[in-house]
Amino acid sequence: MTALLSEPPKVAPATAVPRRPRNKRQLLDWIAVHSVALAMGVIFTVPLVFVFLTSVMSDRQALTSNMWPTEWHFENFALVFEKAPMLTYLGNSLLYSVVATAGMLLSSVPAAYALARFRFRGSNAAFMLLIAAMMLPPQVVAVPLYSMWASAGLTGTLWPLIVPYLLGDAFSIFLLRQFFLTIPEDYLDAARIDGCNEFQILYRVLLPMTRPGIAAASLFTFLYTWNDYFGPLLYVGERQDSWPLSIALASFRGMHRATQWNLTMAATTLVLIPVLVLFLFAQKSFVRGITFTGVKG
Amino acid sequence: MSLDTAPPPARQQRRATPPAPKGPSAAARWARRAPLLPALIFTIIVTQLPFVATLIISVLRWNSLDPDNRGFAGFDNYAAVFTDANLRSSIVTTVILTVVVVVVCLVLGLGLALLLDQKFRGRGLVRTMLIAPFLVVPVAAALLWKHALYNPEYGLFNGAITWLWSLFGADRPPQPEWISDMPLVAVEAALVWQWTPFMMLILLAGLQSRPMDVVEAARIDGATPWQIFRYLTFPHLRQYLELGGLLGSIYIVQNFDAVFTITSGGLGTANLPYTIYQTFYQAHDYGQASAAGVVVVIGSLIIANFALRVVSSLLKDEVK
Repeated sequence: MTALLSEPPKVAPATAVPRRPRNKRQLLDWIAVHSVALAMGVIFTVPLVFVFLTSVMSDRQALTSNMWPTEWHFENFALVFEKAPMLTYLGNSLLYSVVATAGMLLSSVPAAYALARFRFRGSNAAFMLLIAAMMLPPQVVAVPLYSMWASAGLTGTLWPLIVPYLLGDAFSIFLLRQFFLTIPEDYLDAARIDGCNEFQILYRVLLPMTRPGIAAASLFTFLYTWNDYFGPLLYVGERQDSWPLSIALASFRGMHRATQWNLTMAATTLVLIPVLVLFLFAQKSFVRGITFTGVKG
Repeated sequence: MSLDTAPPPARQQRRATPPAPKGPSAAARWARRAPLLPALIFTIIVTQLPFVATLIISVLRWNSLDPDNRGFAGFDNYAAVFTDANLRSSIVTTVILTVVVVVVCLVLGLGLALLLDQKFRGRGLVRTMLIAPFLVVPVAAALLWKHALYNPEYGLFNGAITWLWSLFGADRPPQPEWISDMPLVAVEAALVWQWTPFMMLILLAGLQSRPMDVVEAARIDGATPWQIFRYLTFPHLRQYLELGGLLGSIYIVQNFDAVFTITSGGLGTANLPYTIYQTFYQAHDYGQASAAGVVVVIGSLIIANFALRVVSSLLKDEVK
């Protein structure tokens, strides 16, 4: 740990590439940083690698303590689709995540703009209420919401989870507000004087300048809904044809007489891939999204 | 860029008309804003109403298995929450789980952020590797820990122990039953693995927003790396630590997936969200479930507030 805390000789800010170590102390630092970095990277990813390795093992081999597959069964991935209606589950997951993300953008962008740019009596209270909403655990409001959706006859579908996003999502509004605050008011004033109304300012001036913010909010909403387990369990837990992938995954091992870990892990791998791919493409927005929640309270 | 050299005509025009303190009249301003406000007000109402409803239900006697016997119960549900041994222990579990996970994540995240703040070859790759756990679907992560890592017969941990033992020629390696031997630690470890990357990213942002000239000046004045960390870096990171702690608490308090998947709430790991789920879904006691929910909210507010005070008071002393 001390190796982490001690800062190695900083190169002059202008040179971006680390210079080769010259003396003994620098060499030691160099070795320390690289080996710790490598070890940490491996520790954090090794469980994922293990999931993949198990997913290509044979049924029997998955139950041994061998970590490296002796024979590779890539057909396990195809087998997953035969054992369970994965495409239906995928469809349900996509319905939930895509419609919720699109709905979030429609509803939360104008609300975030109003919150970021307008000063009116109660605007601080509005912001506090929003933070409060963000902090509210979903389980807490489950009872009234469930009985409401039950009386509307929509339990057993994913709509009770999707509709709230069409009405505005507190975390997205908060995140978008943080991004909108970074644009100097002068740009908006200029547009105002040119005769734009507020919607035009929002869509023609502000949005093109805050594209990373839009990307981050979309990514977070997609990730949250794709990962959501409690919500679907509550509303569609007993309706198998409405299951999203998260529920399907948790029940995968229970669906067959003998548990097949290799197939369970293959299904896990299949669920992980879309998110990992999405992340690789949008890594920058994702990181900025997390860090932006911090700038400017 | 061009703004600096040649101000656009619009700005000049505005400066030319001196009075009109803040743009157009109040009425005109409201007319412009009106179309946007409903979105905000609507969102706030939609997000707050359910909580108000929860508050109301929490003082009702309402069990869906016994629909006729519905009425005002006063604080009976709250009394039940605090006297029921299961519920009480789930409150304690929630507090322990949240505090342990958040603190460990912050410490590990700080270490990793300091590491990633160094310049070294392969930094981008290491950063991606470190973020990966945060992207894993939480249910999948919980399954992974339960079956791929903790399983006593074919899990990675016991496999690794066997391998290490055989390396030294010893047979009969210890093969602990991770989940039944240390259920709460098992849940905590899985959550720490998933949430450390999140803390790391927030703290890394903090590190990279440090004013480097001050650090440089301190170094020239002969400050040791430890002094720089303690008196410059750490105080600067304070608001980032607070933010990470706050967001982390919010999410860990409401964690359901890990507890539900790894231990099914057994062995003393049932936290409040899990207990609410059970009260609601299995006992169908809506009133009591709501009361427990209100307790969660109040509890998390107290924890967050307390944690923030402790952290800030610690840091204030250090700055002096």
